Amino acid sequence: MPHGIGSAYSQPTMSCGSLIRKVLMVACIGAFAFASQKAAAQEETVRSKIAAAIVMPDEEGRIAVVLDLKKTPSPEIVGWLDKWKEGLIFIYEAEDGSIVPVLMGEPIEGTRKIAIRKLSDDTPVVDGTGNQVGVTKFELDLADTSSSLRKAMREVSDLAALADPDVEKRIKAIENSSVGQRQDKLPGLLELQKIETNSKATKALEQAIAIINLRSDDKAKRLAAAEFLGNRGSLPAFDLLKTIALESKKSGDKEMEKAALLAVSRIELHISRINAAGTLFRGVSSGSVLLVVAIGLAITFGLMGIINMAHGEFIAVGAYTTYVVQNVFASGLRLSPFGQSFEIPGLGLTGTGMSLYFVVALPLSFLVAALVGLLLERSVIQFLYRRPLESLLATWGVSLVMQQLFRLTFGPNNVQVSSPLWLSGNWTVNDVVFGWNRLFVIGFAVLIIVATWLVLNKTSLGLLIRSVMQNRNMAACMGVRTERVNMLTFSFGCGLAGLAGAFLSQISNVGPSLGQNYIVDAFMTVVVGGVGNILGTVISALGIGMADQSLQQYLGNPVIGKILVLIGIILFLQWRPQGLFVTRSRSLD
Amino acid sequence: MTKAPAVSKVRTPLLIAMAVFLIVVMPALNAAGFIEDFTLNIWGKYLCYAIMAVSIDLLWGYTGLLCLGQALFFTLGGYMMGMHLMLMIGKLGSYNSDLPDFLVFLGHTKLPAIWQPFYSFPFAMLMVFLVPGILALIFGFLAFRSRIKGVYFSILTQALTYAAALLFFRNELLMGGNNGFTDFRTLLGANLREAPTQRILYIVSAILLVAVVAGCKWLTSTRFGLIQRAIRDSENRVLFSGYATANFKLFIFVLCAMIAAAAGALYVPQVGIINPGEMTTERSLEAVVWVALGGRGTLVGPVLGAVSVNALKSWATRAYPDMWLLILGGSFVLVVMFMPKGIIGIPAQVRALIAKMKNRGANSRQPVTTKQDAEVTEP
Repeated sequence: MPHGIGSAYSQPTMSCGSLIRKVLMVACIGAFAFASQKAAAQEETVRSKIAAAIVMPDEEGRIAVVLDLKKTPSPEIVGWLDKWKEGLIFIYEAEDGSIVPVLMGEPIEGTRKIAIRKLSDDTPVVDGTGNQVGVTKFELDLADTSSSLRKAMREVSDLAALADPDVEKRIKAIENSSVGQRQDKLPGLLELQKIETNSKATKALEQAIAIINLRSDDKAKRLAAAEFLGNRGSLPAFDLLKTIALESKKSGDKEMEKAALLAVSRIELHISRINAAGTLFRGVSSGSVLLVVAIGLAITFGLMGIINMAHGEFIAVGAYTTYVVQNVFASGLRLSPFGQSFEIPGLGLTGTGMSLYFVVALPLSFLVAALVGLLLERSVIQFLYRRPLESLLATWGVSLVMQQLFRLTFGPNNVQVSSPLWLSGNWTVNDVVFGWNRLFVIGFAVLIIVATWLVLNKTSLGLLIRSVMQNRNMAACMGVRTERVNMLTFSFGCGLAGLAGAFLSQISNVGPSLGQNYIVDAFMTVVVGGVGNILGTVISALGIGMADQSLQQYLGNPVIGKILVLIGIILFLQWRPQGLFVTRSRSLD
Repeated sequence: MTKAPAVSKVRTPLLIAMAVFLIVVMPALNAAGFIEDFTLNIWGKYLCYAIMAVSIDLLWGYTGLLCLGQALFFTLGGYMMGMHLMLMIGKLGSYNSDLPDFLVFLGHTKLPAIWQPFYSFPFAMLMVFLVPGILALIFGFLAFRSRIKGVYFSILTQALTYAAALLFFRNELLMGGNNGFTDFRTLLGANLREAPTQRILYIVSAILLVAVVAGCKWLTSTRFGLIQRAIRDSENRVLFSGYATANFKLFIFVLCAMIAAAAGALYVPQVGIINPGEMTTERSLEAVVWVALGGRGTLVGPVLGAVSVNALKSWATRAYPDMWLLILGGSFVLVVMFMPKGIIGIPAQVRALIAKMKNRGANSRQPVTTKQDAEVTEP
């Protein structure tokens, strides 16, 4: 399968390309001062040329001058032509009868008039005595455009956009130029291909040229283009190739039809691979969300046997802590619980200071949730260690109270937690899109799991926790203060829930019922994973996430997918009632 | 255990009086105009909740199975009744079609096949019991066979309820989506919007409640009931004694699902609406709260709990809307921690407390005597 080989090798090329881009970027920054000087000079010539075009007496003359701009393509042309089109350039008739294209400038102080500047060189227009000329808004005529002129302008703009120094914009322009497969765009693209150094742009160019060639008069070129696009797995060419296959079938061009169909099937294969990879990625990321949400529960429920129905509310505690920290970093926050209003002053930070708020919010949300957990353990949970069913009921009562407290303090609606800018982009590898926020989700989950594992296995607290969970009485006999360990374990689990909240605040809405949306899933994850086993929780979270996403992709219906997953879990527990990993013990009940 | 029959003997006349009050006196007062129609209607709703609470008590208090899906069975029963009521609207709906309004809205021109038999009231009644019963049978069979118990059973029933609620929120199920069924007109030819019809529905609810409580009382006093309580206290010992505990649990589970469903079916024509919001786990947990508050394992306690909590709710959500959840949640925590026997258990708790106080008083004198005893016995 040539395509398979192609995609397997394309990854190294991509990373190589990004390296080149980085080097180029560094070079660009170095050359910035020089470049800006040069650009200024260039811009001046563009302006004077456009001014020259505007003053041309007849339509043909204007079009000729505009088309002449093709010889010196530069990105500034696009902006100035747009201004012309949008009617931001005006015509001023000077005292000597000459026509001057002008731009509106600053209002002149003391009068109700506006100064005007020449389009050609950006100098203010002055009258015979050297005073600035002021005009009122409706005094001047617009520099008009006709449809044939606009067509010429568009042609020039397209070409000029290809010369944009910004790679992203250039690639956009290249992709746009292939739309409609107009043969007249080909020379410009071929020209650009000779000088293009950016690997991404080169790829886009190859593709755009091939797409245009699909409509070439030369049959050999058409066939070559179809084969190339098929091998490339080109998504933009997909629909076009299908159309061409149909057309060739009608016209009886067997060879072309075969080539087009082959290309279509190759692209289809590529698409199905992209979808599979995308599903896998989304599965891992939604599994990670589950994992982050369930890990605290795996400790309180799995290790301690406490059914904490208020777990979801501890997640909300973390999320609201993040919200408060964000507002403290910004302009402060007014809260009015129980009709009493008080204000938390803000630091008024912006820019970098503001974007760091999340770094502060993370440990704080852990601490706050852990403290609330400690409070709950001392006041309620400690009396219920031997009565798990009752702990379920009591913590449900606690969860009701906490939800209502959130409502009274922060209002019944969702609050706004802005996510940092670095979470909004994405990263595309071989047409598979990896959203930064989903990558962040996965990274965060890995971090939390590693941290939890380290605490449980490499610290003395972890040793105590494990010993108490394995055999409470024996641990007590050895002098472990089991009460204190219970207290710390519970608040550790709640702290993890708080971390999950800080994390969820970045990817979903923060409201009083935030926790309720996750609690059932979290319990399922822990039960399937096997109670008392962190590794089991990891595997079951990823498994459930994956199953959920694949069913969603396959059925195209998230709710039915979710229901099937729940039914699947119930059936799975038939097979392994204790979950994936069983903690073996000789005790009965 | 030995004490329970003694207590109930003392209470039997009181219980009969309560039953007579609910079944005869209340509707009579309403017919005479002393009780408003609205109040009686609300009480009918409470009694339906009370029936569900009794079913939870039979499961949780007597068999040790905390089911968080009882609201699901309740709502399913309601839906089956609702389907019949929807068809009874006939052409009186806003689209003047034979089809229920939401089906017309979804673009259906023919009644779907599963709806067809619901024109028959007996069939709808049969379905009220069969659908939740079969669901409980399948789920219970799977759960008890693999010996899922304790909190795992609770969590699984919670997941089942959650899945079902998600399903019923969909329009594709043809069950009215998140709006559910409403705008009912007639039941067996009687206008549901008239006071006499509602009074009869109330009386039926009261009779059903008394019958369910009496039936459960009888069931729990039989040998079966003894095994049931033995399963609650130590399932493994019962298992080792040669009883197939799974079958006992399955029977109780299906029975309770049907009781809850019957309550749901009576609830719908009285309240006039049924939607998937009733099906959520929160609803089940709320019902568990009634049982815990009233006193589990007592059968009468849950009735008291259901009525008092709902009456409190009706009052508090109007008087202190912001505080209601705090009151409910807070009282629940307190009850679980300090009143394991609920309202019914308060007298016993107070008696125990008084006895303890007396003992303490006695104890302060006692050490002297024991010391003397010790001195006497030592030489």
